[in-house]
Amino acid sequence: MRRPPLIIACGMLVLSLAADAIILGGEGHAEFWWSEVYGFFSLFGFLGCLATILVAKILGAMWLQRRENYYDPKERHE
Amino acid sequence: MNSVPPAAVLLFGALLLPLLPRFSRSVAFLLFPVLAFVLLGYLEDGSSTTLRFLSFDLVLMRLDRLSLAFGYVFVLIALLGGIYGLHVTDTGQQVAALIYAGSSLGVLFAGDLFTLFVYWEIMAVASVYLIVARRTERSRQAGMRYLYVHLFGGGVLLAGILWHSVDTGSILFDRFDRGAGAYLILFSFSLNAAIPPLHAWLADSYPEGTVTGSVFLSAFTTKTAVYVLARGFAGWDFLVWAGVIMAIYGVIFAVLENDIRRLLAYHIISQVGYMVTAVGLGTDAAINGATAHAFSHILYKGLLFMGAGAVLHATERSKLTELGGLARTLPVALSLYMVGAFSISGFPLFSGFVSKSLVVHAAELRHEEAVVLLLYLASVGTFLHTGLKLPYFTWLGPKRDLKPLPIPWSMYFGMILTAAINVAIGVHPKLLYDLMPYPVAYRPYTTSHVMETLQLLTFTGLGFWLLIDKLGGKPTITLDFDWFYRKPAPILYRLTIASTDWLFARAELMSLNLARRLAKAFADPIDYTARVLFQRSDTETDRIVYDPNRYRPPVGFIILVVLSCFVFLLAWNLFLA
Repeated sequence: MRRPPLIIACGMLVLSLAADAIILGGEGHAEFWWSEVYGFFSLFGFLGCLATILVAKILGAMWLQRRENYYDPKERHE
Repeated sequence: MNSVPPAAVLLFGALLLPLLPRFSRSVAFLLFPVLAFVLLGYLEDGSSTTLRFLSFDLVLMRLDRLSLAFGYVFVLIALLGGIYGLHVTDTGQQVAALIYAGSSLGVLFAGDLFTLFVYWEIMAVASVYLIVARRTERSRQAGMRYLYVHLFGGGVLLAGILWHSVDTGSILFDRFDRGAGAYLILFSFSLNAAIPPLHAWLADSYPEGTVTGSVFLSAFTTKTAVYVLARGFAGWDFLVWAGVIMAIYGVIFAVLENDIRRLLAYHIISQVGYMVTAVGLGTDAAINGATAHAFSHILYKGLLFMGAGAVLHATERSKLTELGGLARTLPVALSLYMVGAFSISGFPLFSGFVSKSLVVHAAELRHEEAVVLLLYLASVGTFLHTGLKLPYFTWLGPKRDLKPLPIPWSMYFGMILTAAINVAIGVHPKLLYDLMPYPVAYRPYTTSHVMETLQLLTFTGLGFWLLIDKLGGKPTITLDFDWFYRKPAPILYRLTIASTDWLFARAELMSLNLARRLAKAFADPIDYTARVLFQRSDTETDRIVYDPNRYRPPVGFIILVVLSCFVFLLAWNLFLA
């Protein structure tokens, strides 16, 4: 499948920033520091997703992932 | 006033079921959760059943709003799982599921620690059957590992209970104070709640269960653990971070997983993490959060396991590397699975949204900034795997020309009902909030909350889309803490079992040889004596011919006399001396 062009990502970001501007402008109070940052949750979702994958892949490649018959070498590959 | 404990209804059902005609069993199965449900509605907050046993007052049932909320969802999933498994003809599985559900209810309503312990052990044994009933070598081994781990946990629990009751003089199950007994009990509850490093049994065994069995497995063990933690250890700070670690741990491991049901199992650990965090926070709002999240978790995780089970049933495969392109052939399973996926990811209008935000909100109220952010991160990972990766690579993704078998209508029906309840709770959170132990003031559907959630999840989707090539399954397994008992097992086996076996085999061989020689010698005692004692050879003709029939009576008489003396002496010792 084709990757989404960069423009779609940018469009989503602009939309979400606009939404933040409207909502934050309307409510005007914040419980946590991140509630005042425009686009915080968008960025958090995006970077969090990349970070989760990156950390897991590194852990997996360096240490955790083994061949399927690791525990029972006699068991044949299905 | 004493009334019938709801656990008894399901346990009675398990006794009755094998006596019914075979064709009616899977339908009759449904009757007992329904009866238990009605009974729960009929029982009042505060009702209890006590029984005097030896010098203890056992509280077989103690009902309050906390246990009742868990009780409702337990019988609900027993019913839904029963509908999903209407096509199952294996009576053993049906009976095991009823015992498992019944003993889970027993734990919920146990008012004292001994009753709790007994039900706790029954749960462990009954649930093993749902794993080994798949009747493969892998599931048998996984089931045995599961059993050992839980028997160990049960042993620690009993030790804790004994210690606690000696220390405090009470066996009632209430909030624990710090003490050695309480720590042991906490250890065993943590094991069942799958708090790392005590979690490996879950991801090891649940994916090996039968298609319907895993639906039950995903519901009861960890959630009874959440309940007992909420009852006994609410507000213990240790649990806040233990829960956060669980939430992240499960998500990270799910990235690496190739087996779809094991991926879902890691997400159980992650989701139970939210509940454990809430229990650790310990406020009324947090206990509501833990209860609500357990409630909706049982429903959406059940649905997800039903969906993955449907794929396994139809294709007899459960690995991402072997699945793909099923959207054309199993579209209904996909859409029903997605309801569960949206629920677990906490999309607005689905059940997870209204329950997960209760937990996060409880952390916000305590201004635990790091906890809140890490729970958001776990949400991101949850959507990434359960909501995107798993369905993409199973139903879309590379085409593998699979020819799925037809899925029984009962499986679809069970999934549709479960999905409907998930949506109903998401659309109308009052349904869920009214069952909570404390009044719920929180409103999930505010503009900012919905907006934040949508932003978080859409951009997770964007990240997935960018990295989609890197996310396909790999034919590997992932090391986890089960390494510590699986890898040394062969060595331990050699040290303890194989060596003892060898010793016994040698001893057996020696005694057999001895017996053989004796038998040879006594076959003709005269000849033997002549040869061995007097060194006379066989050739001499004057030897007496041994005739067994001739010598039998005197020999028998001597043995009779000796034995009689022996018996007489014994009797003398026992009765007269």
